[in-house]
Amino acid sequence: MQITWNSIRFFALFTALLFALCFEALATQVQNIDWAKAAKASDISLSETQKKQLKDKKLTAALVWHGASPWITAVTRGAQDAFAQLGVEVVAVTDAQFDPAKQVADLENISALNPDIILSLSVDGISTKQSYQKAISQGAKLVLLSNPIPGFQHGKDFFGIVTDDMFGMGKAAAELVNRSVEGQGKVGIIYHDANYFITNNRDNAFKIKLQEFENLTVVSQRGFIKESETSNIAAAMILQNPELDAIYVSWDAAAEGVVEALRSFGNKKVKVITHDLGVNNLLDMAMSRNMFGTISDRPYTIGSSMAYIAGLAVLDEPTPLFTLVPYDTVTKKNISTIWQHAFKVPVPKLLDLALQQ
Amino acid sequence: MSVSQVNNPDFKARASEFISKKALKREYFIYYIFIAVLLLFAVALHDTAFFSFANFMNIIRQTAPLTVMAVGLTFALAVGHIDLSIGSVVALSALVGAVLLQHVGTPLAVLGALSVGLVVGVVNGLLIERLQVSSLLITLGTMGVITGLARQFTNLESVPIINSNFTGFFGAGEIFGVPSLLIWTLIIAGIGYVVLTKLAFGRHLLAVGGSPKAALAMGIQVTRVRIYALVISSMAAALAGLLYAGRLHGARYTLGEADLLTVIAAVAIGGTSLFGGRACIIGAVLGSWLMGLINNGLILSGFSTNEQMIARGVILIAAVAIGVKEMKNG
Amino acid sequence: MVRTALDQVALELSNLGKSFGPVEALKNVSFKINKGEVVGLLGDNGAGKSTLVRCISGIHAPDKGEVKVNGTAVQINTPLDARKVGIETVFQDLAMIPEFDIVDNLFLNREIKHKNPLLAKLGWLDKKAMQKRAKKAINRLNSRIPSFDTQIQSLSGGQRQAVAIARAVNWGADIVIMDEPTAALGVEQSAQVNELINVISSQGVAVLLISHNMQHVVETCDRAVVLYQGESVADVAVDEVSKEDLVALITGAKSQAQIAEIHAA
Repeated sequence: MQITWNSIRFFALFTALLFALCFEALATQVQNIDWAKAAKASDISLSETQKKQLKDKKLTAALVWHGASPWITAVTRGAQDAFAQLGVEVVAVTDAQFDPAKQVADLENISALNPDIILSLSVDGISTKQSYQKAISQGAKLVLLSNPIPGFQHGKDFFGIVTDDMFGMGKAAAELVNRSVEGQGKVGIIYHDANYFITNNRDNAFKIKLQEFENLTVVSQRGFIKESETSNIAAAMILQNPELDAIYVSWDAAAEGVVEALRSFGNKKVKVITHDLGVNNLLDMAMSRNMFGTISDRPYTIGSSMAYIAGLAVLDEPTPLFTLVPYDTVTKKNISTIWQHAFKVPVPKLLDLALQQ
Repeated sequence: MSVSQVNNPDFKARASEFISKKALKREYFIYYIFIAVLLLFAVALHDTAFFSFANFMNIIRQTAPLTVMAVGLTFALAVGHIDLSIGSVVALSALVGAVLLQHVGTPLAVLGALSVGLVVGVVNGLLIERLQVSSLLITLGTMGVITGLARQFTNLESVPIINSNFTGFFGAGEIFGVPSLLIWTLIIAGIGYVVLTKLAFGRHLLAVGGSPKAALAMGIQVTRVRIYALVISSMAAALAGLLYAGRLHGARYTLGEADLLTVIAAVAIGGTSLFGGRACIIGAVLGSWLMGLINNGLILSGFSTNEQMIARGVILIAAVAIGVKEMKNG
Repeated sequence: MVRTALDQVALELSNLGKSFGPVEALKNVSFKINKGEVVGLLGDNGAGKSTLVRCISGIHAPDKGEVKVNGTAVQINTPLDARKVGIETVFQDLAMIPEFDIVDNLFLNREIKHKNPLLAKLGWLDKKAMQKRAKKAINRLNSRIPSFDTQIQSLSGGQRQAVAIARAVNWGADIVIMDEPTAALGVEQSAQVNELINVISSQGVAVLLISHNMQHVVETCDRAVVLYQGESVADVAVDEVSKEDLVALITGAKSQAQIAEIHAA
């Protein structure tokens, strides 16, 4: 049996190495970006005259998203509100369900509507590139969310990328972990083990920043691919490292599994830190259980910034290559404020009740 | 062996008895696999927390919804149907339960969630029988419809549950010091076992799966039995949804999404035929525990995620190969 | 095999008919079977033999005509109806579940329930009682059967046939219909089945035997009923006609009246 085991291990390592090499080549290509030159969301604005000019043009826009979630709904709302000020009509909103083939079809369908503006998050820059190109050639101005498209030129093919301050968020998460254990403790990391621009950058920035805190020790690091895996991973981690004080996990929905695993062990000690806002975890946080805090971006602002950049592009004004949208550190105290800030909707009833207790 | 020996009727009788005992061995297949994988991990992971009571309880808790789904699916497979809609029923039932809990007490919310299973099962069954179309196509269709409904129902928002009665009863709580998820697993497996092996209804299910024509000729109401089987399958999935909701203190539309193939694999490896007529509840339970075991062992092994995926496939095939070999020797 | 005049009629069919859409599979079938009598049902392919079997055993409901069992008119719409009035059928494919053992097949849908009334209501099986009765049923036919937990699929053709017949007789049936019981069997096994038929008819059971093996019919049957294009065209005592006569009746070359004339001459 031992022999079988070893050969499995060898074979697995070998294959993994091959894959890793392939991905490495791709990853380095997109990540050479000078973030110091990025603009801030607050820098993006249009004058009243510019708004008037746009209104007269009676433009149309299409929003081509990668998936569907409350977060994307908030981005859409931000874009729609901003477009309303500019007299732009949103003619289509699509959800690719994280499938590049579906997104290609979405883009082809949208081209038939001939929109003047496309706001989009590309599921996979390489396989969707052709379809974007077709829409652009018909005169649409493209503004991207987070993921760049390899080979596209700023000012010609697209007019800017609006993104979270991924590095800032990762760093802030590390600081929050430090705060949760009051400067000393053992930390577990559950990171996103797939080639994905935002989560990879956030996780890496987190890991680098965490090293600065000398009294924090990372005792376990595990990757996951699907959100549904984190519960089992966290359970194994806690069993293996009973002395654990805090767990960082890549994003909110994935953190639900971690909180669940802690709960089923009756573990009230371990603090969980993550990114994004989700009702279930905020409720846990409001009730002072395992969830300690989260770093939240501002999807509504992302949407409105994208819309304004598209407006500037239509008027042939210069637009920044990168625009960073700020983030907030959320703990029990400021849940309600941040929620309304990020989503521009009232706090869900149940969460509101829990907060008032 | 002499000719007279072969022609001896007693010898023939004994020979055919021997052959049929061998055929029965297929049911023991899962035991070999289970023990082989357990030993493999016990040796390879001796320096981790793998071989501990706490970890085994952890695995049983984690796999409770899978086990319940596996028991339910065994009934559908027993009559020769496949039920692809179970994963989506998990999500919708959990969401319905979670939303109802904001307005009514636990019993009514549970009733509401389980009725999702009831309705889906009846619809699946009636469509298959009325249209005479394969269960694969019909349940693929209903899976789409239910997934869409689950996404639509709360607009992709996850719904939290703060009712501690509910979360204790279905989730991480304990009843008389025993984890409730373990109790659920045992109750559902026990009911499934009794129904399938001790009750006339179980005989009828397997008869319908083994030979619908013969069952019909013997006066069994084949259509009705098939519909019952699908109702059981999707009600078990609805219960699994409640177990997830209890564990997670909330529901979201992605629940159960990744479970369908795991459950089918668990049931098949446990000795249930994918084409009807042969079903084994203990096998289904052990099969789902095996899936949990492999998953847990690989996480503890320190492999990267990609390596884990490869190793999971390799272990599954190796385990089946070992099982087949043991069976031939035994 | 001479029967006495005291024979009572077990099954009587009058003017039975059944259509499938425009196709009239059975037009006008009438005949009787007495208790303890073995009647052969003969006919070419497509003459309506299978449809008739299905009508009597409750798989199809007949469109017209009357079925009388022991002198009482009965309605047979489902297999259960047929069983209730005492008609058991041994189907050509035997209607057995290959994966089930002998006991489970013998008692399929007629399981013996647990003595505890509560458990019985749930449908809890009394496996011991079923095993005991299964042994009795098989012994009644003097058949050699290996252990009772043997799966049907690992039995020989003759053994399966014996189990199927045992199942039919086990329920105290007055009438047993057998659809081509020897079609798939070798010479020795066919002889065993013939023996079984003699055993049950001597116990007072009326047997309707569907076969196109003329030899088989001549050996085991008292009378033969001939179906031709969905109608019963002849009802003859087997020892009063020759094989050639039967063939002529089946193919429609001669009528029963013509044959009677020839014999009288």
